[in-house]
Parts: sequence; C-alpha cells; structure tokens
Amino acid sequence: MNVIDNISLRGGTARGQRRARRPLAPRIRALVEAYILLAPSLAGFLLFLVAPIFGVAVLSLFDWNLMGAPSFVGLANYRELAADPEVWRAVLNTIYYVLLNIPAQTVLALLLALALNRRMRGGKALRVIFVLPWMAMPVALGVIWTWVFDPRYGAVNQLLGLVGIDGPNWLTDPAWAMPVIASVNIWQYTGYTMLILLAGLQAIPHQLYEAAAIDGTTPVQRFFTITLPLLRPSLFFVLVTNTIGSFQIFDTVFVMTQGGPGGATDVLNFHIYQQGFQLFRSGYASALAMVLFGLILLITAAQFLYFRKRTVYDFS
Amino acid sequence: MKRIALYLALFAGAVVSVAPYLMTLNSALKEPAQVLTTRAWSPALPVTFENFAQVWSEYDMSGFLLNSLLYAGAVTAGQVVFSTMAAYAFGRMSFPGRDALFWGYLATMMVPQIVTLVPLFLITREMGLIDTYLGLILPAAFGTPYGIFLVRQYFRTIPRDLEAAAHIDGAGTWTVLVRIMLPLSRPILATLATITFITTWNTLLWPLIITNSDATRVVTLGISALKGQYSSQYHLILAASAMALLPLLAIFLAFQRHIVRSIALTGLK
Repeated sequence: MNVIDNISLRGGTARGQRRARRPLAPRIRALVEAYILLAPSLAGFLLFLVAPIFGVAVLSLFDWNLMGAPSFVGLANYRELAADPEVWRAVLNTIYYVLLNIPAQTVLALLLALALNRRMRGGKALRVIFVLPWMAMPVALGVIWTWVFDPRYGAVNQLLGLVGIDGPNWLTDPAWAMPVIASVNIWQYTGYTMLILLAGLQAIPHQLYEAAAIDGTTPVQRFFTITLPLLRPSLFFVLVTNTIGSFQIFDTVFVMTQGGPGGATDVLNFHIYQQGFQLFRSGYASALAMVLFGLILLITAAQFLYFRKRTVYDFS
Repeated sequence: MKRIALYLALFAGAVVSVAPYLMTLNSALKEPAQVLTTRAWSPALPVTFENFAQVWSEYDMSGFLLNSLLYAGAVTAGQVVFSTMAAYAFGRMSFPGRDALFWGYLATMMVPQIVTLVPLFLITREMGLIDTYLGLILPAAFGTPYGIFLVRQYFRTIPRDLEAAAHIDGAGTWTVLVRIMLPLSRPILATLATITFITTWNTLLWPLIITNSDATRVVTLGISALKGQYSSQYHLILAASAMALLPLLAIFLAFQRHIVRSIALTGLK
C-alpha cells in the first residue's frame, strides 16, 4: 500500500553513527526512556491486538460453545464452512455489496472532485458539506433509511407515487434490500472519497494541462492522458481502503434487515456475529473470520499488483 | 452555460449530503400523527419537542447518551495520550527494534475488527470485565496503530533544531515532549481526538457483544433496541437518531478545518 511504502524508516543515518560512538550509559537510558513511552501502547497492542490475531487462528481449530472445555477438531470447521451453502451465500452477498458500493462511490467522487477542482466562491464550504455524511452514525442512518424507504410513510415511495409509480417494499424485497443498504454507504463515503481524490488532483502540476492545451488536445483527451494516470496513487488508496471497509459491512445490516429477507442481506460479518455470539459457536466463527481475512488480503494483493504496473512521474 | 450546469450539479450534491439530517430533524419535531402520514416532506408545523422529551426520559436516552459520552470520552483520552507517547518514541528516538516494531504496528492496520472479535471477547471475559465500563473502554484505550502513525508523521515535520536547543539547555525527554512537541502538534492532536471521539461514539459491534444491561448500554445499542421494539413509531426512533447525530455535528463543525485537511492528506503518502 502506498501509505506504507512511502514512509521513511531511517531517522537520519549520520545521527545513528554519532550515537554509536557514545558511551553505553546514555544509550541504555535512551532505550529505557523509549520503552517507557511505548509501554502503554505496546501492552494494549500485544494483549488486545496481537494475541487475538494468533488466538483466532488457534480457535478456528477447536469446537467450543464458550462454556466447558474446548475440543480440538483440526480442520473440521473449515470443511464444514466450505460445504455450507449459507457461507457461500454470505460470501456472494458481501461481494455483491462491495460491487454495488465501490464503482458508484468512486465514479461519483471523481466527478465531484473534478467539479470542485477550480477556484470558485463557496468551494471551501462545499467541501465541508460533502464531508458531513462521513461522520454520521451508521446505526442512526439505518433507522433513517428504513423510514425513507418505508413503503407507506417513506419519502421515496411518496415521490414515486407523484409520478404514478407504485414503489416496491424496499427492505422486505430480496431484490431491493441490498441496493438500499448499499445506498447508505455510498451516501456516507462519496464526499470523503472526493476529498482524497481532490487532494490528488490538486497535486497535478498546471503546466502539464497548459502544454497539452497548446498542443490542441481536447479536455477529454487531457483527462485520460494526464489526469487519470497521475491520479493513480490516490485512486489506488481510496479503492483499497474503501474495499476493505465495505467488506466489513455490519451496522446497517444489523439495524435494517438482520440479514433478511430470506438471507438476501446476510453478509459475512453478520454471519460471523450470528455464529459466534448468538449460536455461541466460537470455533466455527473464528474459522469464518479467517476466511474473511484471507479474502480481504487476496483482494488487496490483486489491487496492489494491478496498480504496481504504474509509471512513476517525477516533477521535481 | 456550462458554469451554471456545474453549479447546479454541485448544489444538488450538497442538498443530498444534508437532506437526511434535515429530514430527520424535521420529522422528529412533528407531532406523532403527522409523522405517520403520506406527507414525509411537509414541514414540522406546529413544532413540538414532545418526541425528544419522551425518548429522553421514558426510553432512557439520557442514560444511553451519558454512557456513550463516558465511553467515547475515555477512549479518546487514552488514544490521544498513549498514541502521542508511542509516536514520539517511534518518530524521534532511536532504540533497538524500533523499525521492526513500527512495521508490526502498521501491518495490523489491515486486520478487520471482526477477525479479532471472538478472542478479544474471551480475553475480556477472562479479566472479568463483561458488562462493565472497563471492559467497554479498555481494549480501545491504549492507542491504535492508526493514531500512532498519524501523530508520528506529524512529529517528523517539526524541525529537530528545536529539540536539540532544548536538550542543550538541559531538558529531558519528557520536558521536550510536553513543552515543545505537544504545543506544536495541536492541530493533529485535535484531529485525532475528534476522529476518535466520532468513531467511538458511532461504534456498535464491541458494545453489542460486551455489554448486556441498561446500566452500560450506549446510544448505538439504545437506538437499535428502540427500533427493534417500536419499529413503526417513527416519531420516537427518528427523535432518538437526531439526538445521537446532532451533538457530533456540532463537534465536527467546530473542528471541520483540521479534519477536512487531514482527510485530504491521507491520500497523499
């Protein structure tokens, strides 16, 4: 990921060499001071993050209902989940949700960013307004969307009624429930994505556009030959982070449909929650969590390989 | 002509961005009978605060909001203090194992929360903290890799000369951190605090599995319980939602300049 490979980890080599010649006592003092500063975060990191990461891999090999003694079952949980049609449905539902989200969100955000990428009155205020959805509580949004899409009292069907369309029962209709849930996320993250893309657009040097304009190119040509290639790092970043985020959809499903109707919105995170904390199958839920993690790693790696083929432009 | 089309499109986008907030507030201010009509768009006339009063006292929203305030406040305090300490060690000190450890922190940023959830629940249960404030707060209160990363990157933009001068004057590590680095890092600390508070306030999953009584119930759980119980009484659940959204809107608007800038920067390195 570009966030990570751009970080320089060397805090100045010259200083490091100077330090090597210093006597031992101050170096030990520095070491102790550094670890005192690190101690709280390191304790939390090891206990609440590293231990659970290893723990989930171990638990996935056990059968345990959270009471009594866990029994070792080897790969039985994985065999069970591979044969479970509900798991496959949850995987496909999750991918469907991600596919509903990411293209719409990215294209809308790019269009907004292109529109805002100029000097204009109210530009700053517009940016703030577009980010307002980002901070909203997904649980509250789930409630609000349920109301907006209510077949009788909701605004959407009332508007459709004005033009003579009899709107569907959105959230209880297996074909519509998922798109409605996805629309919450698109609404929430388009502005946020736009801000990141806008910053990328503003980093593209003006001279390129001026030179290309002198050469008689059309704006569309300039978009595809200058803007899009140079925006690739920002696009990569938003695609990776938004895809990882979308894979973890839970709150809106929990509030709006509880996985229904008929399993149409039963996504992986919700399925894991149900198995682990409603049916208390902690080993099986852990195996499912491992699958979700593997899926996210796979997709991130694919995106990384695709974007790595990019050319690096140096304007310095 | 093209310009007008552009402004119209942006204006439409802005309207869509604020519409759910305004419609929610509008309906929460209506009389119950007016919410349950086929005119969702009509303005709240006459305005009534009856729905707010009812969820506040009868349905214990006051308790949920107070619990959320405690939860988000404590996590935010811990995140800011401990992330800053770790960020200084990673960004400004050299010690054996620093780089490997920092990469370890960064690598975990990709791990989804659900992956660690079952073991985290078991660890918290072993500590005897089920259904307690401590169990709610503790796992998130020691600073996150994201917070450490954010502050460390900011520290690295501060010239080293300032610290060197202080060291010559005999200042120790703590003095430099508290008297020099912190005052210079106010924008990033405000951003981190605001983002942490908002994220924690909005969290559903961890409170959902770790708490199970009214005494520790936070607002996300309160609203989903209300919706489960009174799904057709939109005047109540919309008022509850408005109460959960509006305080954060105020916080966000107070710090929007820092937050907008820091989001924009997340994409550039």
